Order: sequence, then C-alpha cells, then structure tokens
Amino acid sequence: MMMLNVSHIQHFSVGDGDGIRTTVFFKGCNLHCPWCHNPETISQAPTTLHYKSPLGDELRGRLLSVEEVLCEVLKDKEYYEESGGGVTFSGGEVMLQAEGAQALAKRLRERGVSLAVDTAGCVPWHAFALLNPYVDTYLYDLKTASARRYATVIGGSLSLVLENLRRLLTAGKQVRVRVPLIPGFNTDSRSLVALRDCLREVGAQTVDLLPFHRLGSGKYEAMGLAYPYRAVKPLGEARLAHIKDYFSPYFTVKIE
Amino acid sequence: MTLSTSLRREMEKAPPKGSYMPHYFRYLGYRDHLGEPIEQLRAEGIYALFTEPVPHIYRHDLIVGNTRCLYTAQSPLVEQQAASLVGRIGLRHFGTNADHFAPHYQHVLEVGVPGLIGELRQSLARYAGDEGKCRTLQAMLLTVEGFFQMIRHYGEQAEAMKGRKRYDSERLAFIAENCRALLAGPPKTFAQALQLVWLSHTAFMMEGRYAMALGRMDQYLYPFYARDVAAGTLSREGAIVLLENTFAKIPTNDVVNICIGGDDEQGTCQVNELSFCILQAVKNGNVPGPNLSARISPGTPDDFLRACLQSIGTGLGYPALMNDTVNIAALRRYGYEERDVYHYCMVGCIENFITGMQPPWSDGRFDAPRFFEYIFNRGVSEVSGTLGVDTGALSGITSMRAFLRCLEKQLSHGVAEYCATFRAYNDGINQAYYTEPFLSCFCYDCIGRGLDINNGGSKYPSVHGAALMGVGTMSDSLAAIEQVVFIDRAATLTELGEALRCNFEGYEALRAKLLAAPKYGNGDEFVDKYAVWFLDFLSSQFDQYKTRDGGGIYVAMAANTSNISAGKCIAATPDGRLRGEPLSDAASPTYGRDKNGITQTLNSVTRPDYTKAACGTVVNQKLSPAMFCGEKLDKLMALVRTYFKKGGQELQMNATSRKVLLAAMAEPEKYGSLVVRVSGFSDYYVRLSRDVQLDILNRTQHE
Repeated sequence: MMMLNVSHIQHFSVGDGDGIRTTVFFKGCNLHCPWCHNPETISQAPTTLHYKSPLGDELRGRLLSVEEVLCEVLKDKEYYEESGGGVTFSGGEVMLQAEGAQALAKRLRERGVSLAVDTAGCVPWHAFALLNPYVDTYLYDLKTASARRYATVIGGSLSLVLENLRRLLTAGKQVRVRVPLIPGFNTDSRSLVALRDCLREVGAQTVDLLPFHRLGSGKYEAMGLAYPYRAVKPLGEARLAHIKDYFSPYFTVKIE
Repeated sequence: MTLSTSLRREMEKAPPKGSYMPHYFRYLGYRDHLGEPIEQLRAEGIYALFTEPVPHIYRHDLIVGNTRCLYTAQSPLVEQQAASLVGRIGLRHFGTNADHFAPHYQHVLEVGVPGLIGELRQSLARYAGDEGKCRTLQAMLLTVEGFFQMIRHYGEQAEAMKGRKRYDSERLAFIAENCRALLAGPPKTFAQALQLVWLSHTAFMMEGRYAMALGRMDQYLYPFYARDVAAGTLSREGAIVLLENTFAKIPTNDVVNICIGGDDEQGTCQVNELSFCILQAVKNGNVPGPNLSARISPGTPDDFLRACLQSIGTGLGYPALMNDTVNIAALRRYGYEERDVYHYCMVGCIENFITGMQPPWSDGRFDAPRFFEYIFNRGVSEVSGTLGVDTGALSGITSMRAFLRCLEKQLSHGVAEYCATFRAYNDGINQAYYTEPFLSCFCYDCIGRGLDINNGGSKYPSVHGAALMGVGTMSDSLAAIEQVVFIDRAATLTELGEALRCNFEGYEALRAKLLAAPKYGNGDEFVDKYAVWFLDFLSSQFDQYKTRDGGGIYVAMAANTSNISAGKCIAATPDGRLRGEPLSDAASPTYGRDKNGITQTLNSVTRPDYTKAACGTVVNQKLSPAMFCGEKLDKLMALVRTYFKKGGQELQMNATSRKVLLAAMAEPEKYGSLVVRVSGFSDYYVRLSRDVQLDILNRTQHE
C-alpha cells in the first residue's frame, strides 16, 4: 500500500489558493529556511510539539494511506464545489514524496477535486513530470534571486529551482509565484530588484507576496529549538506597500 | 454627527424628574372603573396608560414614540396604592403569553387606526346579542380609541412645540403632519407607515411588553417605500435616516427582532431595496437592541448575502443568518396553512413565529446533561437535589445500546415532568381573566372572531419552545462512554460513576481517557451520531405533548447563556466536564473542542435534522475580522451557502474583536478553538507566546 508521510491536515485553508481548501502538509523538507513557520515539517521523523498551554502535546507526522488522506479531505468536498476551492499539497516539500502524492492526486482528479501544489521546486524535474497531469495550480516559492544565498542560507540550488519554474511556465501550467518577504534576507532594494528581474526573465505573470510573521515561534519553543527570528518584528503596512511597488508594474501582485 | 447619533446622545441624558411608573397611569384608569367587568377594567387601564401621559418628543426625532412620558413624580402614598392595585389585578408575563410577539403590521398598515376601529364596530354589530363577544370587542375598541388619542396627542404636542428653542420647526411640522394623517385613515407615505408601526411598538412598550418583534419590515413597508421613491418624494438615503431614527429608540436591553429577506410561496426570494436599507440602518446604529435576522435561501442574491456578512464583520454580529429552507420545512410539520408559513419571522432571539397569527411565545430550558447523574446514582441527583427514575444497577447495563435505553427512559420522564410543570404554570391562570384587549387587535383573527388573543381569538394556537441544552456535552459524554467503557474496556460504568461522584478527584487518568475520546464538532461520525439521536429522540418526546390550546411544544437548540447557569448545578459528566462547568452552548460543540477547522465543525453541526427544531437553533462561530474582507469574504459566503445546503438552520457569526483576543489571553482554557490563519499556516491563538499574540492583536486594531 502506498503510504504518505503527513505532518497534519488543515481544513478551511483560505490563504493557499482559490476558494475554501484543505491543505495536506507533507513531512520532510530538503531545505532549511531559518525563518520557516512550520519547522515541525522539516524532519521526516515524527515530531512532538510540547506545549505549555492547556492544549497539551501534539504529535506531528504519521504514515497515512492514500485512502485515509483521501477520506479526510473529501469531507469538505461540498465546500470546494461551492467556493471553487479544492485541496492543496504543502509541506515540508511534497515533491520529495512525488510518487505517493501522485497516487493521491490521481484519486482527487477522479473525484473532480481541484489540486494546488505548494513547492519550493528544488527537486529533479522527474517529480514534476509525475504530478503535472493532476495539478491545476502550482504555488511556487521563490525566496531569493541570489544563487549564493540560496545555497548558503537555505541549502538548495537556485538554478534547479529556476529551471523547473521555467519548464512549468513553458508547459503552460498555471503557476502563482510566492515570495516570502523576510526582513534582513530579501527585503532590501537590491534583493527586491534582483527578484523582480529574475521573475520577469522566467516569464512569471503573478506574484504573491507573503509577509514575514513570527507565529511559528511557539512551535520552535515546543520543539526545544531556538528560533533565530524570535525577535524580528513583522513588516509594517507602509513598508509592505513600498515593496509591492517593486513588483506591481510587471505582475499581478497580491499580498497574502 | 448624524441625526441618529445626536438622538442617542439626547436619549442618554438624565430622565425627567420622578420615577418610571407605567402602573400609575394604568391605576388612573382602574381607579375610576373598579366596578366594571374585568375586560372593561383592563381596557380602562390601558386607555389611561395611552392617553394620560404627556408625550415626549426628542429634539432629534423624525419618527416619534418613547416611554419617557411614563416618568412621573407622585407622593409615596399614591405610588404605593397604584403599585398595589395594579399588582393585584395582575398582568401576564413571559411564561403566560404576554410578549415575544410579532404583530400583524401588514394588516394594520392596510387599514390604518380608523380602519381598525371600523372593523371593531362591524364585528360588534355582527355579534350583537352575544354578550361575551361584545364585552371583549368593546374592551378592544376602547384600547384602540386610546391609541388613536395617543397619536393625536403626539401630533398636537409637535404642533405646540414649533418655535420652541433648539427645536427644529420643520421636523416638528413633519411629525405633526404624519400623526394627523394617521388619524384620517391608513398611512399614505413611508414615513407615516413607519410612524404608525413605531407608535404601536411604543404602545406595547408602555404596556410593559418586552421582545416585541418588528417582524418583516422590508415586506410590509415596501409598498410605501416603492411608491414614495417612484413619486420622487423619498430617496434611499432618506429612508435609511428615518429607519435609523426609529431604531435608535429601541432600548439597548431589549431584543426587538427585525426580519429581512426570505422566500415567498413560489420560492422567489423577497429581498428588495428596503432590505438593504434596513441592514444599512442597523449597521449605522451599531447598538444592540434591534436584533436583525436575515432569512437566507438558495435564491438569495449574492449581493445581499455579501452585505449581510459585511455588516457582521463590522463587529456588530448582525444579522443572524437563518436558513429559510429548513425553517419552512420545520414549520410545515405543524399544520399551518402553506401561505402563512412563508410569513414567518422571529421573535426574541430566534424563535420562529407565524406573524400576527398566534399568541405570544413562551420558552423554557431543558438541561439534558442533568440526566446522567440519575443513571449513575439510582435516580437521585445529589448535585442538583432532584429526582429522576431508578433505571437499575449499573452492573445490569452491559452494552452501549442498553445505556442509551436507560438514558432515554430518564429523558422521557424528564420531558413529561417538564411539560407537566409548564402546563401547570401556563394553564394555572384564568385565561378569561387575564385579557389582552390591545394586543388582540394586532393578531388575526381576534377582531373577526370577537375573542381575546389568548382565548381562541388567534388563528393558530399558542406554542411553547423547549430549549434543549448541551448537545455537545451529551454527544461527547455518550461517545466517551462508548469508547472508554464499551470499546476499550478501560473502566466499568461503576468506576465511571464513582469518578463522576468524586468530580474526577483521584480519577485523573480516567478523565484523561474520557477527554481523549472523539468530540462533537470535528466531523467524526462516531460522536456526531449521538447529536442526531439527541434531537430525534427529544423532539419526538416533546411532540407527544401540547399547549393548553392544542399547539405544539417545539424544541430549540439555543438557550442564550443559560448553559452557564445550568452547568453550575449539574454533576461532572462522562465527557470529562467537571462539576459546575458550563454545558456546551446552544447547538455548538463544547467550547474549545472543535479543533479541526470550521468546515469540520459545521459538518458535525449539520448532521442532526433541524426540521425537527421548529423553534429554532443558534450556532455561534467566531471568525477573524480578515475573513470579512476582500476575496476571503467570497470564501465565507461559500461557507455559509454550503452550510445551509447541508441543512444547517442558523449561523451567528462574530468577528474576533480585540476584546475576544484579550479575553483569550486572560482565560486561554476557554478559547481553545480560536485559530489564527495566514497563508500556509494556522495555529491556536492560545498557544502563541505573548508577544506573538500581541502581533495579532495589533493587526486586529487596524482591521
């Protein structure tokens, strides 16, 4: 039986694609963004979050069969249909489980459920080839246009990420590029200009800007880890508007 | 500052000298007619109540009518005498069908006050020789004549005040003209129609009635609105100003239900421009008091639903969204004529009511979770000091099925006891003695039949609402018993009973297992099936009983905040709830236990068949203010549509205000299901650290 390593499943997701969606967070990631707001999804092993609050501990990471996940996400089918929503695969990096994800994606396609895939794209093209026939929209994260920073800070290959993005766009797939705005990493003028030019060059049409938040800091604490962004304040409204101005002349821009 | 804001400021100023003494004015009527038959005597009291006080007109009034005129300074002796006499003659109250009523305003607007008087005279002529009916009709006539004089007094007062310092003569002339017109015949303009409705409502307030509904204002006022707008004498904005001016006078501690939208018999949605005006006026007012309900059907246009959600998102929380399809199906079960069903509205909070055709409503509370203790303790509740029935030794209950049968036996007995108690109270008064001559004139067909509203005059009989409390507590408890006792065999019923008696002290491990069992509100059939059973079983039980005049005992899944007070005297329950803790609220899952997202909450909540809850339901949900803006609003709209398609009956949403977030920081255990969502991330608010909570709080300030 095809098993999926799933961190958790989130119903009523309203910031991860069109309509009302259910997001399946796959467990395991090949990058290590220091600002990550879902740090429990990085490791492939089950992770326990030890909370002090009345809600207690929570275990994230279970091996679930395709049918089990399907059954859970289909509970909200009527909401998807009414809202034009569907299911989103996120993570972690879902593309690291491309075969399992493909099996689930096929089942969703059979049931007429729209699928979005949220990926950083730092995987061999083979993974995309498996999933492409079943994916309606890619939410494609691009974190920096600097290959050096991509390698040293995040631990991945920018050229692979851009190559995959280019191929998806060429293949005519619907792609929403998502840029997390991380203070001190990519919100300076030079980084923004570089990101913008890079996105123009690959032919992106839409850009979603995801402002940094530190809502994930509780998870670090619950995992007994130090969060490097613990003391970093969210970007102000004026700053966000200013950043948006870099992109809006060339793309359809949305701040999520 | 708008006119209504100024009006509210003016109303907040200190009341006139003396005390609020409606009974004094009633007393004036009683005093001089003590020898008359009771119907006549009551009518005299009302006549004096309507005609003796000097009307008060606010400087910022456009539509007049308030109860300030009932302040008066009298000697202590007079005050005492008045209170004593009026008290002895007595009045009906909530349990005995006095208020929670939606008057037949459509008819009153069609014929006007002179027309009502004409109908009463005709009826008197028709029943000449029938002494009883004539006495009833004479009493009704006297009160309407009193009301006619009250309107005249308002008009004359406005006329007399022209030129008075700081008063606007133009507004006073407008008021005087509208009142004069109402004396001559039916209202001709929107303002006159609204004035007549509001003065009627004022008269009911003067009589001491609470929770009187204004009902389907967008329907009965629409012909006037459309005519004036077509004639160019009224604008949309002008109508909103008049409505705001009226709503501002609703006391903030009252629950005056206003119902907008809804289908007609052909299934065509009746939302019109006035529905939007009313929504806007309530939103502008931004005060509790007007309790706005919107009847939503599949045919309700998106722009109307969107406007409703935007109004809710301002933090106002109104309108409550009512599923027309479910409510109509529920009312149909009770034998109303098809065309009347479509004219239902709500009285009080959510109680469904056939507008102007049934006596005032009465409600009671049924605290179902109390009944567990009787099973565990051989028919005795030590915590509440009450008795149930003895369903035998726990060792004799060897299956979940058998346990459920015991619980049904207990509940069945409880329902019988409830109904007997209600009937004793409700029938305990002499219906012919406690007459309602004025109210009867606003209910079909009291005038035609020559009978009092509570004595055969109304087209349909009185109904009673039994509010079933604790569906979450009940379902969670049953699921916990099934899981822990009968599946896992982790404890016997006897051990569970002992744990409950000790309020789980020394049984912490068992309590943890009970708490870990599936909980209502997470889309889990294992527990949801008990919510289905709960409504099915209890509604079938209440259906076996009737009110004094043959009406139904309807069930509701709503009880305001009674779940808190009721919980105080209920023992620990098998769901892990401790003694004295609140029961679950209305039809919602237990606070903090629905942790799987709102779609799963609603998937559970839509499992029971609410067409069996003819009284109504309340499902409270808190959502982030961001959900009410931009494209998220469309998602919210789809959520509501799906929820209703799946059979949900009501949805009362609130945008999580700063106040809620602050409360969650102070008492995290009560806000376990409050979720923060951003792209690709969600977490429970109470789990965030303090400075991160403040990030959210600061963002909410801007929204």
